[in-house]
Amino acid sequence: MARSTESTGGLVFDRSKRTWPNELNILIALIVIIAIFEILGQTLPYMNEQSFLFDSRDRFDSIFNEARLRIIILQVAIIGIIALGVTQVIISGGIDLSSGPLVGATAMIVMSFAQTELVNGGPNPKAVFGQWAFDLPVLLPIIVGLAFGALIGAINGSLIAFTRIPPFIATLGMFLICRGIAQAWTRGKPVSFPTEGYAGLGSGMMPVFWFLGLAVLFHFILKYTVYGKHTYAIGSNEDAARMSGINVQKHKIMVYMIASMLAAFAAIILSSKNLTAQSGMGIFYELYAIAMAVIGGVSLTGGRGSIIGTVLGAMVFGVIQSGFTYVKLDAYYQLMAMGFIIIGAVVLDKVRQERAASRR
Amino acid sequence: MKKTLIVAAVATLLSGPTLAETLGVSIANFDDNGLTIMRTGMTDHVGTLDGVELQMEDAQEDVAKQLDQINNFIASGVDAIIVNAVDTDATEAMSQAAASAGIPLVYVNRQPGNMATLPEGQAFVASNEIESGTLAAFRMCQDLRAQGKSGGASAYMLMGRLSNQAAVQRSKDFHDVIGMDMCNFITLIDEQSANWSRDEAQNMMTNWIASGEPFDAVFGNNDEMAIGAIQAMKASGISMDDVVVGGVDATPDALVAMQAGEMDVTVFQDLAGQGAGSIDTAIKLVKGEDVDKTVFIPFKLVTPETVEDFL
Repeated sequence: MARSTESTGGLVFDRSKRTWPNELNILIALIVIIAIFEILGQTLPYMNEQSFLFDSRDRFDSIFNEARLRIIILQVAIIGIIALGVTQVIISGGIDLSSGPLVGATAMIVMSFAQTELVNGGPNPKAVFGQWAFDLPVLLPIIVGLAFGALIGAINGSLIAFTRIPPFIATLGMFLICRGIAQAWTRGKPVSFPTEGYAGLGSGMMPVFWFLGLAVLFHFILKYTVYGKHTYAIGSNEDAARMSGINVQKHKIMVYMIASMLAAFAAIILSSKNLTAQSGMGIFYELYAIAMAVIGGVSLTGGRGSIIGTVLGAMVFGVIQSGFTYVKLDAYYQLMAMGFIIIGAVVLDKVRQERAASRR
Repeated sequence: MKKTLIVAAVATLLSGPTLAETLGVSIANFDDNGLTIMRTGMTDHVGTLDGVELQMEDAQEDVAKQLDQINNFIASGVDAIIVNAVDTDATEAMSQAAASAGIPLVYVNRQPGNMATLPEGQAFVASNEIESGTLAAFRMCQDLRAQGKSGGASAYMLMGRLSNQAAVQRSKDFHDVIGMDMCNFITLIDEQSANWSRDEAQNMMTNWIASGEPFDAVFGNNDEMAIGAIQAMKASGISMDDVVVGGVDATPDALVAMQAGEMDVTVFQDLAGQGAGSIDTAIKLVKGEDVDKTVFIPFKLVTPETVEDFL
C-alpha cells in the first residue's frame, strides 16, 4: 500500500515529507463506515442483531457473510470500470461527462449484434436487424463496441486537444449526442435476448473479475509506463509538460480514447449482465464514476490520484449502498444521505490535504 | 387481436343507425412501439364498423405540426378529431380550435393538460393507472394463498423512480392490497427504489438476499425491475417456484420470463383497446350522445395460464 504514494507522479516528490499515504485515508474511512453500519445493525431494535459483514446466521462456511461481500463489490464493478478511465482523464487535468450516455449508446449498438434467433422456441421478439445479425460470434459485438467507444473518445480528445474548448463543454456536447444515439438507434425500443456466449461475459461475478483485472492492468500502466508518467505530467503542469517535449495533444486524445473504450466495455458487461440494452441505461453513471475517483483521492485540478484510490472510492459506494438496504433506510431519504456522505468524504480529504501541505 | 375487449357501451352504439363519418386522427409518433399497437387497434376496429373512415396523420413528436394537422382536419370538415398529444401541456390550443369549429375532439392515451377545463364535446380515453398495481398485487396475494402461505408470508417491493406518479401509485396500490383482510397475512420486509431499472433492481435484490431474511414474494413497480429481481434470485440459487414475482407492463421480456416459469404476474395496458375506445367515443360525440369526460379502458391481468394470448 505504501508504494502507491509514488503514483502522485515523477515531478517533485520528497518522500520524507509525506508521512501518510493517501489511499490509507480512504481505507480508514471505508472501515469507519463499515463499523458504523455494524453498530447500527447491533443497536437498531428491528435488526434482530443481524451482522452487516459477518455471518451471524451461520449460512456460510467462513465467518463472513459472503453474499454481502460479493454484492458490495458486484454492484459497483460496472461503474468502477468507467471510473478507471475517468480517473485517467481527471489526472490528465480533464473531465469526461459523456461516459454515462456512452454506456447507453454502446449497449444499444452492441446488443443489436449479439441477439439470438430463438427465444423459448419462438422468434426473438426484439430483433433489430435481419437474419444475418443473429447468433454472431461473441467477439464481433465486443469489437463493434470497443470501436464505437474509441471513435467517441477520439472525437472528445480531438475537440479538447485541437480546438482547446473546455473538456467540460466538449464532453457535455458528447453527453447529449450519445444519449441521442442511444434513443435514435431503435427509436427508444429496448434490445433484448443475447446469445449464450454474450450473456456469459457479465454473468455471476464476471463484472468483478473485469473490474479488478482492468484495475490491476491500469495501476501498472499508470505507475510504470511512459503513458502513465506523461498523464501525471500533463495534469500537473501542461505547459511544463509541453516544453519538456511531451506531445500533449496526441496524449490527450489517447487518454480520452482509453476512457471511452473503458466506458464502452462497461456497457458490454452491463448489457450482458442484464440481458438487455435500453436507451436509458447509464443515467448518472458519469457522475458516480467521477465521485468514485474524487472520493478515492483523485484531484479535480489534475496531476494527483491513483487507481488504487479509485477502487477504494468505488468500494465506499458499494458499502454505503449495501449498508442503506441493510439498515432498511427509508427510500425517500437515501439520496440525501448519499449526498451528505459524498460531500463529507471530499471535505475530509481536502482538510487532510491542506494540513499535509502546511506541514511541509 | 385484442379487439374482443371493448367498452360495454359499444354494444348500444353498434345497434344505432350508421352514417358515413370521417375521423381525423393525429398520432404523436408513428415509430413508437406502444402507439403503433394503439394505432393498429384503431384501424382494426374501424374495419369492423360500417361507414367510418379514418384519416391518420403522424405528428412526428412536433407540437406545431400537430396543431397544423388539427387545423387542417377542421378546414377539411371532418366529423370528429382524435388526438394522441405530442405535448400534453400544449392541448389548450387544440381544444379551443376544435370547440370554436364545433367539432368533437377525443384525446387518447396521453392525458391533456387542460383536463379540468375540457370544453363540451371533448373527452379523454385511456387506462386508469390505479388499476395496474392493484390487479398485480391482488393476484400475487391469491397466488400466495394458493401456495398455502396464508398463515404468513413476507415480501419485498421494488419501486420506480420516486418522483414519478406511476411509481407512487403502484406502490400505494400494493400497500392497499396487503392492508385488506384477505391479504394482510403478507408483511412487507422492505421497499426501495430501483428507478425502473433492471440493473439497479438486480443489485437491490442481491443486497436483500445477502441479508438472509426469508421471503415469499417480490413486487416490481414495472416488469424491468421484476426481471432484475428474478436474475438476482437465479444467480443466488433461489428456486423460482418458491417465490411469487409480479410486475406491470407485460413487456416481451416479461412474457418470455413468464413462459419460462419465472415470472408469475404482470399487467397489460390495453393499447389496442384504447385505440378502439377512442373511435367509439368520437362516434358517440358526433351523434350527440352522452359521454363521460374520461373513458377508462381496463388493464388486463397476465398470468402463466393466459400468457399465450399476449405473445
